[in-house]
Amino acid sequence: MPECDNPLWPCAMTGAAACLAGFRGMSVVIHGSSGCYYYPTTLLHAPLHGTFIMENEVIHGSEDRLREVIGEISGTGDRIAVVTTCVPAILGEDIQSLLAEYNVLLVDSPGFSGNAEAGYSKALSCLALQTSIETEGVNIDGICLLDPFYQGNLQEIQRLLGMASIPAGTIFCRDSLEKTRTAAPWTIGTNGDFASGVGTFLGGTLGPSALRATIGNLGDRFGQSDIEPVLRELDEREEEAVRVCDKHLRRFDPPSVVIFAGVSYAGFAAQLLEQYLDADILFLGLRNECSQSRYPSALVTGLDEAGTLIDRYDPDLVLGSSFERPVSGGRAFYGITPPLRGSVRLAPQSLAGINGTLSFLEHAMNVCMDHRPRQP
Amino acid sequence: MNVSHTLTSRYGGCTLTGALSVTTQVRDAVSVIHGPRGCAHHNFSLLHATHLDHERAVLPALVSSALGESDIVFGGEEALAGAIRSACRRGVPAVFVLSTCVVAAIGDDVEAVCSRDWPVPVIPVRTAGFLGGIFQDGVNNALITLADLAGPAPGCPCVNIIGEKNLEYEVEENYAEVVRLLDLLGLPVGIRFVHNIPIGDIGSLGAARLNILRDPSLLPVGEHLRQRFGTPYVPSFPAGLSDTLAFLGSVATACGIDPGEALRTENALQDKLLADFADIGDSTGDFSGPVADPESSRAALEAARALRIHVSGEKGGRRLPVHPVVGTSGVRRMLHRWRRAIHA
Repeated sequence: MPECDNPLWPCAMTGAAACLAGFRGMSVVIHGSSGCYYYPTTLLHAPLHGTFIMENEVIHGSEDRLREVIGEISGTGDRIAVVTTCVPAILGEDIQSLLAEYNVLLVDSPGFSGNAEAGYSKALSCLALQTSIETEGVNIDGICLLDPFYQGNLQEIQRLLGMASIPAGTIFCRDSLEKTRTAAPWTIGTNGDFASGVGTFLGGTLGPSALRATIGNLGDRFGQSDIEPVLRELDEREEEAVRVCDKHLRRFDPPSVVIFAGVSYAGFAAQLLEQYLDADILFLGLRNECSQSRYPSALVTGLDEAGTLIDRYDPDLVLGSSFERPVSGGRAFYGITPPLRGSVRLAPQSLAGINGTLSFLEHAMNVCMDHRPRQP
Repeated sequence: MNVSHTLTSRYGGCTLTGALSVTTQVRDAVSVIHGPRGCAHHNFSLLHATHLDHERAVLPALVSSALGESDIVFGGEEALAGAIRSACRRGVPAVFVLSTCVVAAIGDDVEAVCSRDWPVPVIPVRTAGFLGGIFQDGVNNALITLADLAGPAPGCPCVNIIGEKNLEYEVEENYAEVVRLLDLLGLPVGIRFVHNIPIGDIGSLGAARLNILRDPSLLPVGEHLRQRFGTPYVPSFPAGLSDTLAFLGSVATACGIDPGEALRTENALQDKLLADFADIGDSTGDFSGPVADPESSRAALEAARALRIHVSGEKGGRRLPVHPVVGTSGVRRMLHRWRRAIHA
């Protein structure tokens, strides 16, 4: 694997912790050093446990230390999940055998094994997720503690489901652990990069087109539902968005745009900007593995590469994380990708659902207007 | 944080992060991190957040050797060479090489790779993630490595600041407070070793008449500098009201200056400070906050006593936040937080 300048995306261990720490009734143990523990702890704002292993435990084996930590938390009633970091994985200790006596979930996702999505997916696969035909409603997935929009997305989709009188099933991954074993047979998504794979997928909720189709699917599946209020609000709010975007275009040229994000949010942002503002989507710099896209795109893992792309394409608007902001050369910038540092964020913001679309478009237009040349 | 042991070393963080908090402050150099990409990301993200807190737009330059599973199995020395090559291509005056615990576990010979024929100095800094010690060991190792780049320099009347906590939220404010105190004594600052300086500035490290360490955990660095350049040192920034006066006395003594006028000025400032916060006196509260180091506790207790605030030690009372304070200005900021808590 080639070297990488200023890597932009977290490792598999962090992704696994982000998945597991979202579940109530789960105690997550990071099996590794304090340095490996502190990063996910500060990033996820979730309670995590650590084994905080030291050099002598690397030399003589870390089983005793792991057993000690598990013993300390095993009385809480929570299910315990152990996430391995790089060095214990390299040592090749038989942790699975050690954990057998405790009924502990082992997620072997050391940092070197891949990116955050790989770890997230690995953790989900270890959870033995189950659906139940007796569970009413629809699961919501793509809710990941790594995503700065997860709370807003969840609130918005719960609001829309409530309007449609459709119960929310299990939230992946922000729910009780128990509910992962009785998930509903149907699932809708908020961020495809953190999909659960549970149940039959009825569609995503990013952007009006996807949302309208998904709401339609829900209406077909749930005979007792009333999707009309949602569709009515969607129509009304989309009409308002069109009116405002149209007004914007009377004064301003459509922006040319470069986007740095995961596949799901990058595609959503590109499609919305193109559809409503006739934007010229110059390039998608994807944080995770590339899929087929109708826009020019590539995997971008380092900040220097991102800066070079911004210089090459010379866009009016850059979407990305606060990593990209300082290399955007003073261009209009809107943060949709973690981390979003350097600004205060208290209220949950969404990208999913009706309000997510409106919020995204208003931010995009506002940052473009803020960067237009001003009269003296 | 869920911790069950009191061993400082167990919770002391990673040498890599400590060393990076130093080497990335050499603003025209590049730091190569030999290990998985995720380690570099963790640290880049932390440094990025810190830079933003300090309103610095330029991000630290890191290059990761991005070790993958095959490198773990077959060795990562060529990946390191590739990363150093990439760093050298940037036209920088020096490249620092720092290792992770993964590299220590697989046994790469980092020094051998660094000693190859590179177009710029490639300087290994002794780290090995948590296998090389704790965060503070990384800081000290990096400072000592960088100090060894400096040779003899003509003397100057200035004072160096050694080992600022670059990840500290208030690093600039703490520095400004020490500069204010030194100014009372008529002493200029030489270099901030190491905080946002070009590598060329390190050459003047030995010129100062006194080094001021950020805190006593840097004593090995202070001793190293004393032995290498003959420079005496003061072991810590001042941590409270009386400690600030003592600091002025210590610095003045070390520099052969009469501290009388400076002490009178600072005493008057402290009297005014306590008068300004008389409204929160005669109250009751309990200290809170993540930091419970003895210096911070002592500074807080001293301020509470001066204002006749009764520290109850009982849970459920007003929580008076305590954070590491530097100088009289640091105490003032802490008292503003107490006022907010008491009037809440």
